Amino acid sequence: MLNPGAAYRFLAQQAQPPPGRSGAWLSWRKPLLVAVVLGCTMSLITSASLSLRLAGPAAFYWGFVPLAEIAALAAVCWRAKRSPFGRTVDLFFAGHGPWLLWLIGLCAIWSFVPPIHAFVFTRVWLYGAGAIVIVWSAYIDFCFFRFAMGKKPARASRDLLVQRLVSWTIIVAIFGGPAIVPELAAQLGVRFGP
Amino acid sequence: MTALRWIAACLLLASLTAGTIADTRPAHAHLILGGYYVMAVDFHVHSFPLSWATLAPWDTVPEAGRQGLDAIAIVGHNHVWVSKAGRAFARMAGGPLVLTGEEIVSARYHLLAVGIDSTIDWRQPAARAIEQIHRQEGVAIAAHPLAQYWPAYDAQTRRALDGAEVLHPIAYGSGELAAQLRQFYNSAPLTAIGDSDYHGLGPIGLCRTYVFTREESQSGILDAVRRGRTVVYARAGRAYGDPALISLAAADGRLPRIASGAASGVSPAAGFLNAFSRVAGILGLTAAAVAGLVTTRSR
Repeated sequence: MLNPGAAYRFLAQQAQPPPGRSGAWLSWRKPLLVAVVLGCTMSLITSASLSLRLAGPAAFYWGFVPLAEIAALAAVCWRAKRSPFGRTVDLFFAGHGPWLLWLIGLCAIWSFVPPIHAFVFTRVWLYGAGAIVIVWSAYIDFCFFRFAMGKKPARASRDLLVQRLVSWTIIVAIFGGPAIVPELAAQLGVRFGP
Repeated sequence: MTALRWIAACLLLASLTAGTIADTRPAHAHLILGGYYVMAVDFHVHSFPLSWATLAPWDTVPEAGRQGLDAIAIVGHNHVWVSKAGRAFARMAGGPLVLTGEEIVSARYHLLAVGIDSTIDWRQPAARAIEQIHRQEGVAIAAHPLAQYWPAYDAQTRRALDGAEVLHPIAYGSGELAAQLRQFYNSAPLTAIGDSDYHGLGPIGLCRTYVFTREESQSGILDAVRRGRTVVYARAGRAYGDPALISLAAADGRLPRIASGAASGVSPAAGFLNAFSRVAGILGLTAAAVAGLVTTRSR
């Protein structure tokens, strides 16, 4: 997380895993970890405890986030000859540390701060820490495309942009839904109708 | 790294076990005051997907019961279908009652349409949206009516509204925003509403409305809102709503006690298990994140 360039250079030189069952597990283990952390987050931020009733189903339907990311990754890396796609997925999700820490921070706020004050902390965390995480994770993902995928800097930047555009569009559309247009209109000062 | 994985797994398992054991629906006695059923209602609850909310309807409904609510309105952002899914689930699961609805999110106003069955278009003035809500026999509630939304509601439109949110979590962060909600509420004869605007953060019903109904049903709740029979308790015991009902509740004493959380019904054992669950959960997640993401590097 702190030195992603060196880390991805190191990881890219590691031996390829054997194909078959272990290869399939390799491609799913980190996306599953992301889904589990998301499910646990949903339980902790709403009930300040970790219950199977909330965490289990939430991990299942919030699995759409890693799936959207894998779909977007496939859009830019499917033809990569450097490594099998399962290995590519594993390496890409290895860079999700900042996002997981951000989610765990959100859990900590709603677990230990009374709700009346938690809203104020949350605003700072969502926007302040969120902005840092967006930049930090963008740099990590750039290093993934640059060193793990062996792309030139311009191509790595393009792939990063396409991957984020595709995955974030899917995620925001499913999460936010039909109110995105009027919310954007309100931000931009655009008026609809009479 | 293997040791860290085991630690993470054990902590998460312990956290899940404690949290699941403590995850019970507290006993909730139905309160009757002055011949009315007093129902705890949150009219502003969002559910996954399509409304920036984290929990699906089938998780939202039991969670509302766990928070001691008798009814919730699931209001999708510019749609009603998730709300209908929530109502169908609540009927199967035996409650709490789910009112169907929509939060009409326009660039100029946010308006709760509670008790409707068909989506109302957001690309129209608030006055026309309110007409359509009433045509579907629903109630129109101004959602978090901060100063930025006031131009959408002229004097006539405000009188057409059934209610306004006078208590909303947004008020917890800023005295100025709380004052704006109060000012809007006092600008017309509106029913007092307290809502959590639940998107997944914090408990459902953090802010809630006590509705004095003749019957424990959707029509009973909507009728009470139209007639202004609500009480909302803010912090420090401040109450909004029908003065006669506020006095009635104060004389009885039970409702203010319930509203203050003094009668939450959570046992000390459940409280301890929840506290353990959250500490072990945070530590377990942190260990899992570190172990999971550093694994590849150590291979």
